[in-house]
Amino acid sequence: MAERKVLVADDEIHIIHVVTIKLRNNGYEVISAENSNQAFALACEEKPDIIVTDFQMPGMTGLELVRKLRQNETTKDIPVIMLTARGFAVEDKEKEELEISELLSKPFSPKELLRSIEDILYQKAVMRNN
Amino acid sequence: MKSARNLYLIGTCIVLGSVLAECLARWYYCGGACLRLAGYVFVWPLFYFVAAVDVLLIGWYWLRLTIRIKSIIKELKSDKISRIKSDGGKIVNELSEAINNRFDDNIGYITELEQQIKDLQIQIRLSQGQKRNTEAIIYSIRDAVIVIDEFDKLLMANEAAGKIFNFDYRNSQHKPISELISSEKTKAGENEFVDFLCQSRQSKMRHTRREIDFSDENASKTFDCIVSCVYGEQERLCGVVAVLHNITREKEISQMKNDFVNHVSHELKTPLASISAYSEMLVDGEADDEQTKKEFYSVIQSQAKRLNRLIEDILNTSRIESGLIKVEKRPISLTILIEEQLQMIRSYAKEKSIKIIGQKPIVFDQVYADKDMISQVVINLLSNAVKYTPSGGSIKIEMEVDEIAGLARVSVTDTGVGIPKDEIEHIFDKFYRVGANKRQAKGTGLGLNLVKQIIEKFHNGRVFVESEPGEGSTFGFELPLATAEAVKV
Repeated sequence: MAERKVLVADDEIHIIHVVTIKLRNNGYEVISAENSNQAFALACEEKPDIIVTDFQMPGMTGLELVRKLRQNETTKDIPVIMLTARGFAVEDKEKEELEISELLSKPFSPKELLRSIEDILYQKAVMRNN
Repeated sequence: MKSARNLYLIGTCIVLGSVLAECLARWYYCGGACLRLAGYVFVWPLFYFVAAVDVLLIGWYWLRLTIRIKSIIKELKSDKISRIKSDGGKIVNELSEAINNRFDDNIGYITELEQQIKDLQIQIRLSQGQKRNTEAIIYSIRDAVIVIDEFDKLLMANEAAGKIFNFDYRNSQHKPISELISSEKTKAGENEFVDFLCQSRQSKMRHTRREIDFSDENASKTFDCIVSCVYGEQERLCGVVAVLHNITREKEISQMKNDFVNHVSHELKTPLASISAYSEMLVDGEADDEQTKKEFYSVIQSQAKRLNRLIEDILNTSRIESGLIKVEKRPISLTILIEEQLQMIRSYAKEKSIKIIGQKPIVFDQVYADKDMISQVVINLLSNAVKYTPSGGSIKIEMEVDEIAGLARVSVTDTGVGIPKDEIEHIFDKFYRVGANKRQAKGTGLGLNLVKQIIEKFHNGRVFVESEPGEGSTFGFELPLATAEAVKV
């Protein structure tokens, strides 16, 4: 099976670092961005299997990034997991509308993040096969 | 009267006697000569005497009668007059008495009326006094007050109301409130207020309350409007009082607090997220080699320090505001203090590839200050500079001494995003964050406020800022030199 690619977008370098190590240790290729613009450019260029993004980032917020991704033909179907330090920052309506697969509150567990990524990619694979 | 009647009887008897004697004489004459002679000698003189007396008596009697009649007439006249007089007096008396009685009644009534007038005058004076008091109270209230009658016409308004709704509050009495406040040109807030006033009057509810937004393109304005119906006798509605309290600032503060809680929770959770994730990785054995483990421990340590710094910021702000903080001033070297803080910030700057240019030349002068507090000031200025400077930028910290003014001046210059000119005056306000830069970096809006309070409130110094959007900013502070401060003490 080909190595699955994950884009991690967070302005906290330590979060990128810890998520990168966790995912790489579990067979994922990780690319990272420190802000939303950089993340969008990388998503268009690298076409990752899944994107893990922070909610609050300098410049464009995580929500704005997802909205932009959904409007782009090449990135509109990429599943997104959003990390947020503000539990109520994203409403259910927005989550549904922007097809955000999972919302994880900070502080989060890298194990839990890995499990969510695997579940989402598995469902995506099943749907594709069907 | 009796004597006249007797005389009249005597006279009558004499005349009758004379007539009888004449008759006898005449009879005798017809008879004998003796009798005739006797008649001539006695009867005739007597007859004539009696006749003369009779005439005299009759004349006298007539005279008396005339006099008497006159007297009686006079008497009658005088009696009538006196009667009339007496009757008239009685009438007059009665009239007078009636008039007096009536007058007394009227006097009582008038007195009563006078008393009532006095009472009314007192009441009017009291009412006027109360009105003046009420006006003085209403005019001196900062909140806007509007009083309307049952026909929605203005009775009273104060200056604040005039300012809000832009009408002459002293000369607008009895004008319909809708004309004064609401028109086609007025904004939604004013129209909503007029509708609210009229609805409250119609609903006859004692008190109603509503928050109304009077914001326009120039300023944000929110008022808490309380409308109370005023009832007179028999529960008849006689007016409505509206009080408008400006809660714009309260709303802003509330919003600031909410933002603050959000910021703080986010700021606290971010280092906590790193600590939690790295700890879990260590526990799960994700760090294979010693080098990675050391790296993880280092991150946990730095994030714990960051967390502590943040909590210290919050606590210090709270302590400073409550006046509980203990200030321990002593002569300290700013050069050494700055160097210590630079050591702390270098790793953070290195992460963002920001160059730090240290102070030159070294200054040996000391300032009279609390070391922990000034350390906090310097680290806040340095960390802000790093936070708002893009990767590859530079930060320069300088110190100079003005011996004439007896001041030490420290400045931190960055090549960061800068601050728009209209926001510079608010930059030291608590919780204030530059709108355009909010997304540039996370923050609580407490750091610069803390700097200002420490320098100006506790050290008799001064903070300053210069900035050019897109080019960078210079933040700094001035503190009295230890010698100058010692001279003052």
